[in-house]
Amino acid sequence: MNKTDGAAIFSDNRTMAGVTTSPVRRTLTAPFTRRAWTELLYAVISFPLALCAFAFSFVTLHNGIFWAGSAPALRKMGGYNRYLTLRMLGEDIPAPPPLRPQSYVRVRTPDAERLAALAEAEEGAKVKRSGSKVRIGGLPATRIAELAADEHIVIHAMNPDRVLGWYRGAIRDTQAWKIRGYFLMKPIIASFHLVVAAGFWLAGLFYLTYPAWQVFAGAGPGLGSGHPVPLAASFLFVPLGAALLLASPWLTRAVCELDLLLVRGFLGASTPQPALEDRVKSLEAARAHAVDDSAARLRSIERDLHDGAQAQLVALAMKLGLAKEKLEDTAPPDFSRVAQLVDDAHRNAIEAIAELRTLAKGIHPSVLDNGLPDALATLTARSAVPVELIVDVPERPSAAIETIAYFSAAELLANVAKHSGGRHATLEAVHVPGLLRIRVTDDGHGGASPVPDGGLRGLAERVRTVDGSIDIDSPAGGPTVVTVELPSHA
Amino acid sequence: MLRIVIAEDAAVIRAGLAEILTDRGHEVVAAVGDAEALKAAVAEHKPDVAIVDVRMPPDHTDEGLRAAIAIRRDQPATGILVFSQYVETRYAADLLSMRRGAHAAAAGGVGYLLKDRVANVAEFTEAIARVAAGGTALDPEVVTGMLGAARHTSALATLTARERDVLTLMAEGRSNTAIAERLVISDRAVEKHISNIFSKLGLPPSDSDHRRVLAVLAYLGS
Repeated sequence: MNKTDGAAIFSDNRTMAGVTTSPVRRTLTAPFTRRAWTELLYAVISFPLALCAFAFSFVTLHNGIFWAGSAPALRKMGGYNRYLTLRMLGEDIPAPPPLRPQSYVRVRTPDAERLAALAEAEEGAKVKRSGSKVRIGGLPATRIAELAADEHIVIHAMNPDRVLGWYRGAIRDTQAWKIRGYFLMKPIIASFHLVVAAGFWLAGLFYLTYPAWQVFAGAGPGLGSGHPVPLAASFLFVPLGAALLLASPWLTRAVCELDLLLVRGFLGASTPQPALEDRVKSLEAARAHAVDDSAARLRSIERDLHDGAQAQLVALAMKLGLAKEKLEDTAPPDFSRVAQLVDDAHRNAIEAIAELRTLAKGIHPSVLDNGLPDALATLTARSAVPVELIVDVPERPSAAIETIAYFSAAELLANVAKHSGGRHATLEAVHVPGLLRIRVTDDGHGGASPVPDGGLRGLAERVRTVDGSIDIDSPAGGPTVVTVELPSHA
Repeated sequence: MLRIVIAEDAAVIRAGLAEILTDRGHEVVAAVGDAEALKAAVAEHKPDVAIVDVRMPPDHTDEGLRAAIAIRRDQPATGILVFSQYVETRYAADLLSMRRGAHAAAAGGVGYLLKDRVANVAEFTEAIARVAAGGTALDPEVVTGMLGAARHTSALATLTARERDVLTLMAEGRSNTAIAERLVISDRAVEKHISNIFSKLGLPPSDSDHRRVLAVLAYLGS
C-alpha cells in the first residue's frame, strides 16, 4: 500500500485524466495508472478480508451476549475498513460516534414494588425487581428521582449499574448493527471484485498474449472448442485481450464506487439525530442565558457598589476632609463642629460596611459554606412567615447548584412574605442523585405568576442557565406551590 | 460667594457637597437628583457653576453629561464641573470639545473631577472657583488618560518626561508659578519647558494661562 496520502495521489491522477488528456488517451492509458492498480489491489485483498469479516459477523449473531460482546470488535473492523478506503480509494469517511452505554440504575427503596410499577409505565423502560432493589434501564436517573418524588417514594440509594448499562448500550448499538449488516453483504461486493479482477484483468492479459501461449505452451485453451487454433488465427484474440484490459479499470472502479456507497452508508457517521440537534439548540440557548445572566448580575453589583458603599465612602471622605481643614485652619478650632463632622463620617462608615456586607452576601452567601441544610435553616429562621423546613440532602450538589438553590429558596420565601398573604409556608429541599428539588408551599391566596422583570421571571432565567426547571402552581385562592428542579451538577 | 446648583443622585453625596460648599460661604441654590431637574434648576437660577454627576437616573449611563452639554449650549455662561466616580476620557473630550467653535468666546469654565478629589476640600473649592472664573479644572487622572489616549500621535511622543509633567499640570489648569512649585523648579525653567512643548507640538506660544490650556486641550482632544 502507498505510504503517502491516498487522496493526494488520486486527485493528481484525476486532474491529469480529466483536464489534460483526451477521452481516447484516457481510455488507452487507464490500465497503466496508479489509481487503476490501487483499485485492483483493493479488489483483490477485499475478498479474503470480506470472508473473515462475514464469518465473524455471522457467528456472533448467535445470541444477545454475542451481539453485545462483538459490538466493539465490529466497530474496530469498520474502522479498519474505513482506513483502507481512505488509503486506497482516497475517500475519508467520518468515524461514527463512539458506543454510548445506556442509562441503567440500581435503586434501593422500601417501596420497590410501587417504583417498579411506575417505571414500567414509562416508555422505553426496562425494569427488574428483586426484593428491595429495582434495576431500571432506559430512564435517566433524574426521571426516576422525579417519579419517586411525585409519589413520595423514599429512595435509599441510587447507583448507576455500569455493566448492565454498557450491555444494554452495546446490544442496541445501531452503529454496530449497521457495520454487521455491511460485513454480511460484503462478500457479494467482494465477489464482483474478484470476478472483475480475474475475469477481466487475467483474461485480458491471457488473450493479449495468446499467440505467445500458442508458440511456447502448445495449444492454449481455446474458446471452449477443444480444437487447436492456428497461430495466425490466434492473433485474432489479441484485440479481445486488449479490450478486456482496457475495460477492466473502469469495471474495477465501478465496483469500488458501489463499495464506497455502502461504506459511506453503513460504516460512516450517520446524519445527526434531530433530538441531538434540539439538545444542542437548547444548550446554546442556556449558554447564551448564562452569559447574559452573569453580565446582568455584574452590572447590578456595580450599580449597588456605585450607589451604595462607594457613595457612602465619598461622603465619608468629604466629611473627614472638612473636619481636617477645620482642625488645621481655624484657630481656635470649632470642636463642636468637628465633632459633628466626625460623627457624620462615622455614620457613613457604618453604612458603607452594612452596604458591603449585604452586597457580599448577595454574591456568595457565606452560610452556604457549611452546605445547603444549614443555609436553608438560617433562611427559614429569618423569614417573616413561619416556615417548616424539610431537608433531605445527604450529598452536596456542586457549589453553583447550591448557590442557585439557596437564592431560589430565598426568593420564594421572600415572595411568600411579601405577596402571598399566607401565614404558614413549607420549604422542602430533597436531593437524590442527579436531581435537587426545592419546593416552597404556602397557604396564601395564590395567583402568583412570573411578570417581566419580576422575581419569579429572574429566578426562572437563572434556573434555566443550569438546565433546571421551575414549575409554578398557584390557582386563585391558593395554595401556591413553586417547585424548582436543578441537576446535581451544573 | 458663588451660586451653585448640584445635580447628584446619591443623596448622601449631595448633602455632603452642599455642606462643604455652604461651609465655604457659597450658596447652593438647588440640589437635584436627575438630569431633567438639573436643566430646570439651571434655567431658573442661572447659577455661576453647576456640579453635575455623570451617571444619573433613569438609565445611569451619561445623562448628567448630556445635560451638561445641553446647558453649555443653552446657557453658555454657566460653569460646569462634571463629577464622576470613574475616569471616562471620552466624557472629558466631549465636554472640552464644546470649548472650541462657536461657543468658545462666551463660554464659562469647564471641569471634570473624580469624586475622590472632594476629600481634599481646599483643592476642590479651588477647582470650583477656577471653573466659575471661566477656567479649566481637570482631574490629574483624566489628563493622564487623555494623554494616554493621545500618545500614539508622534509629536507627543517626542516630549521628555519632565515636559510631559509640565503639560499635565498645564492641562489641569495650573499657572506657571503653581507648576514651578509643584515640580520644585524655577519659573524660568517652567517657561522654558512650556516653550519647548509648544514648539514640539507646533503651537504658537502665548502668555495667557487660559488660552494656553485651551490650546493644549484642543490638541489632546483632536
